Amino acid sequence: MSHVFPRWSNSLPLQIILYLLVLGGTVTAGVTYYCTPKYLRVGYAPVQPVPYDHSLHAGQLGLDCRYCHSNVDQSGFANLPTSQTCMNCHQLVKPTSPLLAVVRASYESGEPVPWVQVHKAPDYVYFNHAAHVDRGIGCVECHGKINAMPVVYHAQSLSMKFCLTCHRDPAQFLRAPADVYNLDSPTLAAQGRAADAARFVHDWKIKPPESCSGCHR
Amino acid sequence: MKRQFAHPAPSERELNGPRYWRSLDELAATPAYRAYLEREFPEGAAQLDGVDRRQFFKLMAASFALGGIGLAGCRRPEAYVLPYGRSVEDVKDGLPLYFATAMPLRRAAIPLVAETYQGRPTKLEGNPSYAPHGGASSLRAQASVLDLYDPDRATMHLQDGAELAPAAASDLLDAISRKYTAGRGAGLALLAEASSSPTRAALVARLKHKLPEVIWAEYEPVIDEPPVEAAQAVFGRDVKPVYRFARARRIVSLDGDFLHAEPAALAYARDFAQGRRVTSKDEADRMSRLYVAESGLTLTGAMADHRLRIASSHVPALAAALAGRILGTDAYAALTPGLDVKPEWIAECAADLLAHKGESLVVAGAHQPAATHALAYLMNAALGNIGRTIDFVAAEPSVAATIQQLAAAIQAGSVKTLLILGGNPVYNAPADVDWPALQKAVPEVIRHGYYVDETSAVAGVHLAATHYLESWGDARTADGTIVPVQPMILPLFDGLTDLKLLARLIGDEVTDPYTLVFNTITGLAGGDPEKTFRRFLHDGLLEGTAWPPVGELQPRAEAAAAILARAPRIPAVGAKALEVRFVADYKTDDGRFANNGWLQECPDPITRLTWDNAILVSPRLAKELGIMPPGSLLQVARAEAADFELGREQAHVGEVKLGGRTIRGPLHIQPGLSNYTIIVPLGYGRTQSGRVGTGAGFNAYALRTGGAMHLAVGATLEVVPGQRYALANTQEHWSMEGRDIIREANVEEFKANPAFVTALGLEAHSPPYDEASAKLPLAEKAAEIPRGNSLYMTPKFDGLHQWGMSIDLNTCIGCNACVVACQAENNIPIVGKDQVLRGREMHWIRIDRYYSDARIDAGAFGGEGNREIPEDPQVSLEPMGCQHCELAPCETVCPVNATVHDNEGLNVMTYNRCVGTRYCANNCPYKVRRFNYFDWNKHALDALYQGPLGHQKDMPELLKMVRNPEVTVRMRGVMEKCTYCVQRIENAKIQQRVKAAQAGSPGDVIVPDGALKTACQQACPVEAIIFGNLLDPASAVSQAKAQPRDYAVLGYLNVRPRTTYLGKLRNPNPRMPDYADLPLSRRESIIKNHPAGAVGGGRMPETGKI
Repeated sequence: MSHVFPRWSNSLPLQIILYLLVLGGTVTAGVTYYCTPKYLRVGYAPVQPVPYDHSLHAGQLGLDCRYCHSNVDQSGFANLPTSQTCMNCHQLVKPTSPLLAVVRASYESGEPVPWVQVHKAPDYVYFNHAAHVDRGIGCVECHGKINAMPVVYHAQSLSMKFCLTCHRDPAQFLRAPADVYNLDSPTLAAQGRAADAARFVHDWKIKPPESCSGCHR
Repeated sequence: MKRQFAHPAPSERELNGPRYWRSLDELAATPAYRAYLEREFPEGAAQLDGVDRRQFFKLMAASFALGGIGLAGCRRPEAYVLPYGRSVEDVKDGLPLYFATAMPLRRAAIPLVAETYQGRPTKLEGNPSYAPHGGASSLRAQASVLDLYDPDRATMHLQDGAELAPAAASDLLDAISRKYTAGRGAGLALLAEASSSPTRAALVARLKHKLPEVIWAEYEPVIDEPPVEAAQAVFGRDVKPVYRFARARRIVSLDGDFLHAEPAALAYARDFAQGRRVTSKDEADRMSRLYVAESGLTLTGAMADHRLRIASSHVPALAAALAGRILGTDAYAALTPGLDVKPEWIAECAADLLAHKGESLVVAGAHQPAATHALAYLMNAALGNIGRTIDFVAAEPSVAATIQQLAAAIQAGSVKTLLILGGNPVYNAPADVDWPALQKAVPEVIRHGYYVDETSAVAGVHLAATHYLESWGDARTADGTIVPVQPMILPLFDGLTDLKLLARLIGDEVTDPYTLVFNTITGLAGGDPEKTFRRFLHDGLLEGTAWPPVGELQPRAEAAAAILARAPRIPAVGAKALEVRFVADYKTDDGRFANNGWLQECPDPITRLTWDNAILVSPRLAKELGIMPPGSLLQVARAEAADFELGREQAHVGEVKLGGRTIRGPLHIQPGLSNYTIIVPLGYGRTQSGRVGTGAGFNAYALRTGGAMHLAVGATLEVVPGQRYALANTQEHWSMEGRDIIREANVEEFKANPAFVTALGLEAHSPPYDEASAKLPLAEKAAEIPRGNSLYMTPKFDGLHQWGMSIDLNTCIGCNACVVACQAENNIPIVGKDQVLRGREMHWIRIDRYYSDARIDAGAFGGEGNREIPEDPQVSLEPMGCQHCELAPCETVCPVNATVHDNEGLNVMTYNRCVGTRYCANNCPYKVRRFNYFDWNKHALDALYQGPLGHQKDMPELLKMVRNPEVTVRMRGVMEKCTYCVQRIENAKIQQRVKAAQAGSPGDVIVPDGALKTACQQACPVEAIIFGNLLDPASAVSQAKAQPRDYAVLGYLNVRPRTTYLGKLRNPNPRMPDYADLPLSRRESIIKNHPAGAVGGGRMPETGKI
């Protein structure tokens, strides 16, 4: 009886297995690197309708975050300022700047300025700003050093892992309440005040939810 | 060489071995089950209606090609944040604002608080400032927010089918005003729906002053207030009664559904519950007792301790007999001949009332003739109840003409221009008026209405009305308190309010409704106008404007005699001369809510029907008509109340003839009806409503004449042979089958053994907690979950709160307000009749309704025996949502951990993990999980079966505005269920933390008791639902669960539900002929479980008459 298959075909199964392993490994590695919020989101810096410069306003001029994002400590949503808020200053400062034409038009007409959203949680995630900034989590933890950004970009991955790192061990990320809006301040832990951080967690009953219901409804 | 495998032939044993059956239906091998087996997949599971396989592949190939070329999915979607251009006072993005408003309905408004997100009302709650409602609201109030976003509402003014600009509409009204000023209004007629608005009343008065010849008529198809002539006859004054149920210990209802049908039903239900609530043995003696004599089975009848089935037309005679006993006179004996009620029933009922002078109450239904009301007033006066359990307030005399008077004027040709404000007379006017023809006869008809409906179709001009949530107005509640109707949003479609329309017609300078209301209110209240009005809007009511009780009232028996002399004698009621009761539907009312999907899909509390009305017939009549179902063996004990085939009620179709008029509708066999009374719900069979309301049910108005608005005798009913109609009934099973799902006891037993619930059910033999752990405090039990006998790992309950719920079955009246409140709060979609027929309704909470009559014998549970549908059952109601089991069976079977516990005891559902295996629903003993078979929220209900590439009809954009932004809108393929309103829990926790941090006491993070209410709890008018933190022993829920009546449904499964129930108490009178010493469901349980001991002992009710 003649051989139906040539001899080299004996090694074919092994070759196929090896090939699939390599392919599988490559795909897995590719997905874990490229298909993550860390790769896809970090660095996102869309062009805004008004070239608002945080490094100028919040950095050099030292405006408090809450001057514009005025409800951040009460509402889950950190509001963007109304054009009226902008005009509080810009009636007098650079009142004719062409860069501010959009804001002036919006103030006149009442139509909103279409700011492009940079940080966006998925629809099924209910992140609450007030719950964080009122309890010792600084803006900088999620948003990065906004006060140094001429154009705001996505600084952290804001993936579920990112959230859970803090929710599992909040003491590492707490700031003194007075430092929450100070983007240059270090955390208590970074200041070497681990005992203070632990006391903060105990006294304030900081117990971030690790259950689904904490963020998903 | 080819190998051959010899398959052995099946052995004898394999062929004839033990046979197993998978369901009772299979065992029964019913034809329905055989039909089911012939299908490869269950109904609806494998169909792709409208698209065949070939076409599907073609389309899919095309879509992949397009997807590859366009690569549209690879671009990051850009999202925008749009802040206001100018700051808006009080608005904080992301936080809701609350405003007081009110929902007007006929002559009684329900005060509300509207939740708005950035100017968009999404949810309505009762206004807690209005004490009689205490923050509760009704089914219809909860659903009314959906009407605002109804895509089928009138979106523009129309003239002969063409658009009429708002300015032109105003000009039109001005022109009419000018035209008729000269003739002092002669030739002008208005037909309006009833209203309690003081501003409208003032405008009407001005209109009549300016145009004295104008005809102002009002018409309401549903009469819900007692006839004033009765009070006029008895007391010589125009007064109407206001009941104080909380103070009454003995209540007799003469065909009155005061828990639902009265204008003040919400306040009455709350008041009534106060008299029924029992927390301890000592309070049991104070519990009220309710006697109900009625023809249909109403919510009030379902709560009765003694229920007498009697034809409505015989109720005046019953009232006369009762009054004769109470007043000790035989002056009313002339009314009673022919009354077929046991004399002992009347005697003992009267004796019980007489033993509770000043603490009793006799209530008559609004539809009853004046004689019944007059007798009820006389009885209340004789019992010394006036001023105690019943007050009388002045009734405003009506200044309006009736629709009959208007019809006469039209026939005489004296009406040249007719304005119809609201209502829908073409659809619901009495049939003998023949309104459609009359309306056509008027040269100019202008219709002001919310929908382009049947009436608009025969009107030259349609003016789009505004919703109450987008218009300024005012109204009175049932007790007379003036409440504001405050807009939450600018009119979505340039609608016109009735106030503005009237002001224009008068030719007033001021036509702005805000100013009109401002002037009325400040004129009434006095004081600083600005301050008064602001306070009015803030509180949502004008303090002290409730009608005061009128002083001393002396009944004049001799004057009442005149009205009694005119009362009709008992008519003969029988199979050949049926009594017909026309009732407003529980949900669509008189038809005005027909296009509200939430209401259409909400099951009727008693029949459990959705999307349809049905002619309700008694089991006796059904038997005589030959439509009593034979019953399949699917039921362990009892034949079903109607023919069900694969869960679908296959109703016979019947034809009712009355006075030469005929209607046709499906027949639903309803236990508890008077034998020869048929109940015909109004409000269905709309021909021009919207995509929800058009075509649902049949129109019963065609049978109704002006002389017999709610009650007629002499009808015949014939079954249309061979015709069946599928009814979407959400509860196929009506019997508890002798199980202890709802645990009941009589008050006497409760007093002897307050913890009677623990002795019932399988828990009595296999308690979930062992002896030591059963004694632990509630908080410890909740947090530690003493292991008991569970095989599985228990979750760690280390949260700062442990949530739990207690539902008091003793006060629950089954009104279904919780069902729709939950729907509004949690973005629960409607699925349409077709899908409800397939058992796919999505309600997170339902109210189960069970009947028991204890007339089964033990044999019925095994084989032959009494399997008949009860004629005279006791009704038990039970709200059922996710029980949040501590040892949840759904969690152990989820392959992807989509349903897990959180550390505060919630059984949570993670939608984006769910892959839709539905194992959890399969393993849930309470059947409360709901699966999204389709993208209900995305696709129109008639396009569910069309794929993404088929002809696609999306859910109208407008409907999306009603969604609660705090709750995820679920997609196809995921499971969902009650979350205990997790969004409210989380927000309450966060708000508490924020408040504490800003107040400088950041450690104070426990949500105080009462600061958080679930949607169902907030809506509940009888406070049957209590929710809160179990770790706090002082919380209301801990207190409720500490009561001896606390038990868990199916507790023996050791699932440790966090929702537990308080057992139901009945308070029957041992001296009554229909007294049963045990609730009938208990007796059924004994018959089932202890067949030998079931025969002797105990008193059973005697077979009821009529």
